Amino acid sequence: MSTRETILDSVRAALGRRRPDPAAIAAEAAALLADPAAIRPALPVPDPVEAFALRVVSPKVGATLERIAALGALPAAVARYLDAHGLPHALALQPDPELRALDWAGYALRDTARPDEAAALGQALWGIAETGTLVFHSGADTAVLNHFLPLHHIAVLQAPRILPYLEDYAALSDPAPRNANLVTGASGTTDIEGSYVRGAHGPRFLHVVLVG
Amino acid sequence: MAATHADKVHVFKEDVTRALGDATLKLAIDRTTVTAERKRAAALVDFPEFAEARRRGTAIKNHVVANLDHYLEQFERNALASGAHIHWAKDADEACAIVIRLCRAAGARSVTRAKSMLGEEIGLPHALAEAGIERVETDLAEHIIQLAGETPSHIIWPALHKTREQVSELFKAAHRDPHKVEEVEAMVESARRELRDRFMNADVGISGANFLLADSGAVCTVTNEGNAELTTTPPRVHIVTAGIEKLVPSMAHAMAMLRLLVRSATGADLTQYTTFHTGPRRAGDRDGPEEFHIVLVDNGRSRMLADHGLREMLRCIRCGACMNHCVVYRQIGGHAYGATYPGPMGAVLTPALEGVEKAKDLPHACTLNGRCQEVCPVSIPLPTLLRGWRDRSWKEGLVPQAMRTGLGLWRFVAERPRLYRLGSAVAVRAMRLFRRGGWIASLPLAKSWTAYRDMPAPAGRTFMEQLRDRERQGGRQP
Amino acid sequence: MPDPREAPPRGDRPRVALFVTCLADAIRPRLGFAALQLLEQAGCAVEVPRAQTCCGQPAFNSGDTAGGAALARRVIAAFEGYDHVVVPSGSCAGMIRSHYREALADDPAWRRRAEALAARTHELLSFLVDVRGWRPEGVALAASATYHDSCSGLRELGVLAQPRALLREVDGLEMRPLAGNDVCCGFGGTFCVKYPAISNAIVGEKAAAIEATGADLLLGGDLGCLMNMAGALHRRGSRVRAFHTAEVLAGMGDGPAIGEEG
Repeated sequence: MSTRETILDSVRAALGRRRPDPAAIAAEAAALLADPAAIRPALPVPDPVEAFALRVVSPKVGATLERIAALGALPAAVARYLDAHGLPHALALQPDPELRALDWAGYALRDTARPDEAAALGQALWGIAETGTLVFHSGADTAVLNHFLPLHHIAVLQAPRILPYLEDYAALSDPAPRNANLVTGASGTTDIEGSYVRGAHGPRFLHVVLVG
Repeated sequence: MAATHADKVHVFKEDVTRALGDATLKLAIDRTTVTAERKRAAALVDFPEFAEARRRGTAIKNHVVANLDHYLEQFERNALASGAHIHWAKDADEACAIVIRLCRAAGARSVTRAKSMLGEEIGLPHALAEAGIERVETDLAEHIIQLAGETPSHIIWPALHKTREQVSELFKAAHRDPHKVEEVEAMVESARRELRDRFMNADVGISGANFLLADSGAVCTVTNEGNAELTTTPPRVHIVTAGIEKLVPSMAHAMAMLRLLVRSATGADLTQYTTFHTGPRRAGDRDGPEEFHIVLVDNGRSRMLADHGLREMLRCIRCGACMNHCVVYRQIGGHAYGATYPGPMGAVLTPALEGVEKAKDLPHACTLNGRCQEVCPVSIPLPTLLRGWRDRSWKEGLVPQAMRTGLGLWRFVAERPRLYRLGSAVAVRAMRLFRRGGWIASLPLAKSWTAYRDMPAPAGRTFMEQLRDRERQGGRQP
Repeated sequence: MPDPREAPPRGDRPRVALFVTCLADAIRPRLGFAALQLLEQAGCAVEVPRAQTCCGQPAFNSGDTAGGAALARRVIAAFEGYDHVVVPSGSCAGMIRSHYREALADDPAWRRRAEALAARTHELLSFLVDVRGWRPEGVALAASATYHDSCSGLRELGVLAQPRALLREVDGLEMRPLAGNDVCCGFGGTFCVKYPAISNAIVGEKAAAIEATGADLLLGGDLGCLMNMAGALHRRGSRVRAFHTAEVLAGMGDGPAIGEEG
């Protein structure tokens, strides 16, 4: 007998049954998701966009935020951020057609981040107001490492993409990409005496540009 | 079994004595656990739905455990469909052998590893070393203890027992370009520099799993450092080792569990990086592993499932809140438990994983105060389970003879009220022979007490004696 | 809140059996008399069954489930004929209320009797407030005090607000909050003699927290924990004096504290 069968047999023996009833199990699993409002914190304000904006700059997330009216204003907003941090106008820019169509005159751009990249810019697929989370899906125009290698992680998010709660993203996660990366702040650690330090291995700074 | 703590001769009381004498250790324990306790409490203030969320989380895990066969098969089916390879391991040896075989097949010289308590449980660090494969621990705390040649002392903060001063010395001795100033920030930066090229040059990345999603075959990992993604993305091969109890039905269920897990562990609402891994790199993907392997490890879990008490332990989501709130853990730290998992959850798990005879002190080294159960996000009745182990060790003759004799004598007397009244009347008079004023500073047969504390001297006559006198005199009031 | 499972009182004076506990019987008879007095003031007809000895907790918690069950049967037989059983200890009351059914799980008939007794059993301070609606009158004590919540009472029985509500009525008594009031003192029954060094380290922190309040008195609801804390405080030369809450409520707060000669 294979190890697989040995384990499944001992699990079935422990549960004292032969075959599970998938329909009954699915119904029970669905019932466990009923009334989600009872098991999650309410948003501080009803509008998910405003809730996200409040949340993402709160100490719990610790990101910085700039709001712009239209995507066309993104290159200038990024320039302001880089200038404020004394950084050159150089970026690992996600090869997202919408971003690439903007006017990046004066920038040195690359597709993917190097291990010592100073700044990378990517477009989040979704935002989650409950936790101030940005969601990225890996793919042809999204390298996972772009969210993890740079010191400054700059993310652009369009307001209509903001969902209220974690479950709202779960409902939209199918089909699943290879990696769904939920980013909630910059990299941090409390591994030395519990004291919080940013920039453990991933970005030390998270800057969000919210469009709309 | 691959080399783990079980191979060491572990003498609990000696380790306890050493731990209690180590003022630096106590300082380190307090620095982290006090902060953790405060942050968790603050997080719950902002989450008035916690009690209901905890009930739901408990129900979700109970549901999974009660249908584990179904969810394992469903997960396997969906993971295979996503292009993952599934491996089954019934124990630690099998699990390590599978990982080593996969590493060798990948021609691996260097592997990066993101902290996984299951990896520690199965002795993976040791197995990799024996196989001659270089292991680079990427979680900052695991990096620290790798440099120190130690094992984790906490399931969330493996290097909790190290002070910043000790970390500084380790980094200065080992890092190619160590920190120049004695600040935690500089030390973290030093580790960042040290590990950067290790991440990029690894042949295999190994992680654990916080949740396995049955309906998609996805593996969820959570970190605050981002080291899991840096571990699992650049190498050609990603290997996940996961206990079979890590399943949840779907991502929505995982979200409900994450709310509980993260608040209970660190007091944050969500980890900085929460990643769902589904299969290997897709056509056109910019990065990611070409091979994705998931090793499903039983290692005693199906045995626990068959035991109605221990089955409740399969709900555990490894948040560490029980140990942060444990008065015993906070005095002796994690290493004194002599096992992968310390604290209350460890005192329940270790006898299940290694046998109660190898861990006979652990279920007893607890005051049964119930705080661990109170903070457990999935309502595991830890004191009841510890008492269950005490029952077994009593039946198996593992309780010391002095304790058995003492309790046997006590029971004999307590079952005979007349003898009991006589005995207690004699005992209180005898005890008074040792008093100075109202206190007894040293008492034969009670040295364990009086070595550390004074004992209040009895009043001279028992309540039952005094009551009888008063009743004979026609009144009860003093 | 009155327990709906309570049997209705006979006449207006419910018959209450006092389980004085082995520790109070031997070490601190004053506590037994304080409990008697309070129950009578609260309108109860109190009896003290002479067949009482030990609740069986030391055996049960040490893994000797059969030994615990044997003593549980004796307690059930001695106490099941009353309207209420009252215990001046959260730990012993918790044993009867929560654990007798576990100790007797394999014996359906005794398990039923255990559950019936559990429904009638109360820790003293919560019984006075929740069942009898009693408050002290004319009790005064010019002192400052801090309160330790013993774990069994707190977590198994929910005793938290009741002792504070009662102590608020004591004239002149100033209550000071204790940091970590809900953290175990390290007593743990047989734990403190099985692992005395760990127990000592735990009670050392507790003693420091108690002293940091600057209070004159330490109050609590469980004699075992109080003896542990008082013993540690005395060993370190502290002037803090320890009483069971019932003693203060019974007007005995000006008498000898735990470890003082009476």
